[in-house]
Amino acid sequence: MTDQTTPRPVIEARDLKTHFQGRTGIFNALAGAKPAVARAVDGVSLSINAREIVGLVGESGCGKSTLGMSLVRMYQPTSGQISFDGDDITHVEGRRLKAYRRQAQIIFQDPYSSLNPRLTIGQIIEEPLIIHGIGNAAERRAKVIRAMDIVRIPASENIDRFPSDLSGGQRQRIAIARTLVLEPRFIVADEPVSMLDVSIQASVLELLEELSRELGLAVLYISHDIATVGYICKHVAVMYLGRIVEEGRAEDILAEPLHPYTQRLMASIPRMDPGEIPERTELRGDVPSPMNVPPGCRFSTRCPCATDLCREIEPELCEQPGGQRVRCHIHDDRGARQRPDLERPEAGRITEIADAGLLAEATE
Amino acid sequence: MTGHQTLGPAAATALGQLNERLAAKPAAHLQVSGLSIHYSTLRGPFNAVDNVSFEVAAGTNLGLVGESGCGKSTVVKALMGLLPEMTRVTGQALLDGQNILGLSDADLQDVRWNRISLITQSAMNSLDPVYCIGDQICEAILAHEPVGKTVAWARAEQMFALVGLPAERLREFPHQFSGGMRQRAVIAMALALNAGMLLADEPTTALDPIMQSQIMSRIRGIHDHMRRSMILVTHDIAVVAETCETVVVMYAGKVAESGPTQDVLDRPLHPYTMGLQNAFPRLPVRGQPRKPLISIPGTVPNLLLPPAGCRFAGRCPFATNLCRSVAPPTYQIGAQSAACHYVERASQFRVAAAEPDTWRSMEPSR
Ligand SMILES: Nc1ncnc2c1ncn2[C@@H]1O[C@H](COP(=O)(O)OP(=O)(O)OP(=O)(O)O)[C@@H](O)[C@H]1O
Ligand SMILES: Nc1ncnc2c1ncn2[C@@H]1O[C@H](COP(=O)(O)OP(=O)(O)O)[C@@H](O)[C@H]1O
Ligand code: SF4
Ligand code: SF4
Ligand SMILES: [Mg+2]
Ligand SMILES: [Mg+2]
Repeated sequence: MTDQTTPRPVIEARDLKTHFQGRTGIFNALAGAKPAVARAVDGVSLSINAREIVGLVGESGCGKSTLGMSLVRMYQPTSGQISFDGDDITHVEGRRLKAYRRQAQIIFQDPYSSLNPRLTIGQIIEEPLIIHGIGNAAERRAKVIRAMDIVRIPASENIDRFPSDLSGGQRQRIAIARTLVLEPRFIVADEPVSMLDVSIQASVLELLEELSRELGLAVLYISHDIATVGYICKHVAVMYLGRIVEEGRAEDILAEPLHPYTQRLMASIPRMDPGEIPERTELRGDVPSPMNVPPGCRFSTRCPCATDLCREIEPELCEQPGGQRVRCHIHDDRGARQRPDLERPEAGRITEIADAGLLAEATE
Repeated sequence: MTGHQTLGPAAATALGQLNERLAAKPAAHLQVSGLSIHYSTLRGPFNAVDNVSFEVAAGTNLGLVGESGCGKSTVVKALMGLLPEMTRVTGQALLDGQNILGLSDADLQDVRWNRISLITQSAMNSLDPVYCIGDQICEAILAHEPVGKTVAWARAEQMFALVGLPAERLREFPHQFSGGMRQRAVIAMALALNAGMLLADEPTTALDPIMQSQIMSRIRGIHDHMRRSMILVTHDIAVVAETCETVVVMYAGKVAESGPTQDVLDRPLHPYTMGLQNAFPRLPVRGQPRKPLISIPGTVPNLLLPPAGCRFAGRCPFATNLCRSVAPPTYQIGAQSAACHYVERASQFRVAAAEPDTWRSMEPSR
């Protein structure tokens, strides 16, 4: 994305939306009311090249997993387009969908429950090959051994063991091997290390990076643990309430974010060095529900800098001189020109303060 | 403060007296020595905690860190008297001089919430789903203080204000709260009797970073505002760096290293602490080169059959035959102490431990 010679992306989403139909109570249904819609992913554009790992961060419930599941077509997007290698796969069905799923895989968070405890490691890794009808028994075994080799779980000692014999880190490697046997070109790694102890996280992250580099995989790495993102991603996108609010080079986004939300998000991460602890101002309230998206800027109900303009007009993603893209009126004057009558927010000018309670004030 | 306008003069006086009485409670001092805990399991006694000693000075925060399963919550449960029936607990935990291990139920009643209170890993478990939150806080107050319901409720309102929750939400039930609000309600409950010692067992683990930071700022506020003593259990050493004066690093049921937080993090003596530091992800700082993340290969030993020597020997890049056969004693160096045979070589180890290859050569499957 940042290269001059723009290679064709492996996966590309354009204005992707995935909405979930809420349930309607019986009375509302009789009254003919439409059920509420959760706009979990609401207009996301994103592209990932071969050998590239893109990081996706944001608060719980902002739509990260929904985006990941939509990209691999485990959820059917409501609108927008997904291209894989230039082919539109947004609506493919049947054989073509199966072919796509072979190339686009997802790794989940929980290495403890994602593996079937009654199958051996070898059987677990072989299963996707059987489902996709690939090879005969001998060929499949060769592929399984190769995948185990790649994730550095020696097949000779481990192929007939059960998941319960392995540590969390090893199980997560098995989960990765299981996705690799199908030789995918795109992997969504949804919190692959957050259930693992810090002491072993690095080895799984390192593995992802190596795979991306050596097998040429495009990877979407989703994580709550934002610090880990800096180690393996060049490009990072920050989501809030179904939309990307800021994206760019990892070092810009993590070290010098521009969007007021990203700034609060990064400030919230604990620091080892007491000299590096940033100023922390509390955000008002909770994240709004995706069924009830606020008008104007989606962050305006909690943003400490919000003004009337923010509550009226939703900002677009706007490219900044440094190259990062930011969705905020502070960094984009288009909204202000459209409505010069409304007050425009300014960087660092606090307009709204949260009642954080006395205990939080004492330290901040 | 919120709620005062609804109190009559007598109740207002009673509330003032209650607050004064509770505020006068001193911060507690805790001395844990030689604490060993064996869970009873079908396969025999399980030595979850082995000869653990540490001290929490009055009015300070102590961080208890280590990987999952190393015995952190077991220590906390022992202090709260919450271990299962058949568990064997030996050693002492002196809370202001009184041993609180093995107390009778009646004596426990007096200690729990009143002198030592708990903020747990999952707030849902410490809240009763069928009572409104206000009633739950009042119940704790009424059990220990000679006041009426009105006064207890007013105190509960004050506690809610302290954690930034609106007083009217006291009437709601736990399921009506978001995860972060529930965690704050549990903090309010833990503070209701202003116990001298607070135990916080992974109070933010399941929460996202913004919620984590908001809860932690309140937990730090307890320290700055009310000068309570606290044990904070976490696997996040940066949280400890920001919150605790002292740190105890546990590994496989034992204390690997302890001391003033800044010293332990700047100059770790134990190879496990060095490994944890190297494995801990940090945010980039513009213009500063960053060390690579290094994981600690291998896994924690099975405590049904603990290894003979140092429990870290199977994963330690510096292990020798001595380490594999003899358990290291604890050596004191300045204010720090560590259970490693080679503490005197710590500075040498620190240099080697910063190199990824030092640990990589350990990896059995490479
Ligand atoms: N199947 C579904 N039906 C209805 N709503 C859903 C469904 N899946 C997700 N949602 C809603 O969509 C929003 C986004 O959820 P998603 O799981 O994508 O969040 P996330 O960013 O991955 O969060 P976390 O960090 O907690 O994993 C949430 O409000 C969630 O409640
Ligand atoms: N009730 C129990 N019976 C048997 N073993 C237990 C019990 N509770 C915990 N353990 C074991 O004791 C060890 C320490 O557990 P715990 O104190 O919860 O660790 P931590 O809080 O550090 O993650 C673990 O190996 C765990 O499996
Ligand atoms: S547009 Fe306004 S409300 Fe939105 S982030 Fe920028 S300043 Fe805050
Ligand atoms: S005693 Fe030996 S094995 Fe244990 S930490 Fe020290 S050097 Fe490593
Ligand atoms: Mg998710
Ligand atoms: Mg625990």
